Amino acid sequence: MSIYVCMVCGFDYDEAAGEPGSGIAPGTKWEDVPEDWVCPICGADKSMFTRQGGEEQKPAAPAPEPKKEAKAINTNYKLQAVMASNLACGSKKQYREELSGFMSQVADFFEARSTPQGDLDDVLDLLAQDSATGYAQAFEVARKEKDRGSQRALTWGEKVSAIQATLIKRFNKDGDAALSGNDIFVCDACGFIFVGQEAPEICPVCKVPRFKFNKISKEASA
Amino acid sequence: MKAVRNIRLCTKDCMCLYVCPTGATDTENGQIDASKCLDACRACVDACPEHAISKVPFNYPPQQAKKDNVLKALRVLLDSKLKQEQALDNIIKTSASPAQKQLAKALKMSTRLMAEDLLRESGYMLPQGAPAREFLQGLLDKEQEEGFPKEAVEQGLKLL
Repeated sequence: MSIYVCMVCGFDYDEAAGEPGSGIAPGTKWEDVPEDWVCPICGADKSMFTRQGGEEQKPAAPAPEPKKEAKAINTNYKLQAVMASNLACGSKKQYREELSGFMSQVADFFEARSTPQGDLDDVLDLLAQDSATGYAQAFEVARKEKDRGSQRALTWGEKVSAIQATLIKRFNKDGDAALSGNDIFVCDACGFIFVGQEAPEICPVCKVPRFKFNKISKEASA
Repeated sequence: MKAVRNIRLCTKDCMCLYVCPTGATDTENGQIDASKCLDACRACVDACPEHAISKVPFNYPPQQAKKDNVLKALRVLLDSKLKQEQALDNIIKTSASPAQKQLAKALKMSTRLMAEDLLRESGYMLPQGAPAREFLQGLLDKEQEEGFPKEAVEQGLKLL
């Protein structure tokens, strides 16, 4: 009997114990756990688990699909919007509300000029690319340069990106039922996304308490 | 150093009002008046039973220097997050499904937080830091489209 560990939140799936809370009987081998089963703590799918103690490693992630003809997308406005919104956020942390207000005005100006372009599959492709190469390469240089701040951002970002991809795949497969009337909660510190009735007590990725989550409700259909 | 109050922790025991020698803690906006706060004083910090007050520098030290190869690698990820956000903007704008819109909004918020985090680790941690100033000054130096909030950038630079 083996234990499989969730790489997003650290939850242990113990084959001997199963996970009766989500309908997995004690003694269920990892390969017999249904493919659409997700981590009961953070919602990560089975691909995010690795066997404790190594060996029997999960097969390497499939290489991302040959990239589609890269579309020329002008991200300049979006970049400036994010630059400014980050400064607004940093000002707020220092209790500098007036400064934060000015930075938000700048962010809004550029945000309004950014062109919406693409669909969920584009997001999924980009996430696959981030996961296959972007994070790995950035980790490598950040480790080499002993840049621990960057490694921290990459650790959170890689996990959150994995959760994003899981959610999109689930939505593509099950449609509206994937959310089944639940609210969606986004961690204000790291961006972790949770689907449910209530935000988790602490964020499984960055460990901030529940009040740090933002609730995204479904718009009332007209 | 100046005192700042975490308004979420404050339970209005008001010990800070009792102990402040200059009246800096007694303001209408929930914050402590930095212009009255004494550099070496920590009377309110010690008196607060909820530990809701801390002291921060008037001037923050510069962020740790970043290496060019790290900046380059973070930039690759940032560009990807920007494109993802624009795709999500499109779904939010055009999708007929309220559930899909709800998901896209959550994904956008999450993606923005990751993009901002990448920027923070790329030298933009502090709004008053040199890279942030250069960014804002660069906006003023360039020709901008109509409606550009020039005054907000100028005022912001002054406040920094």
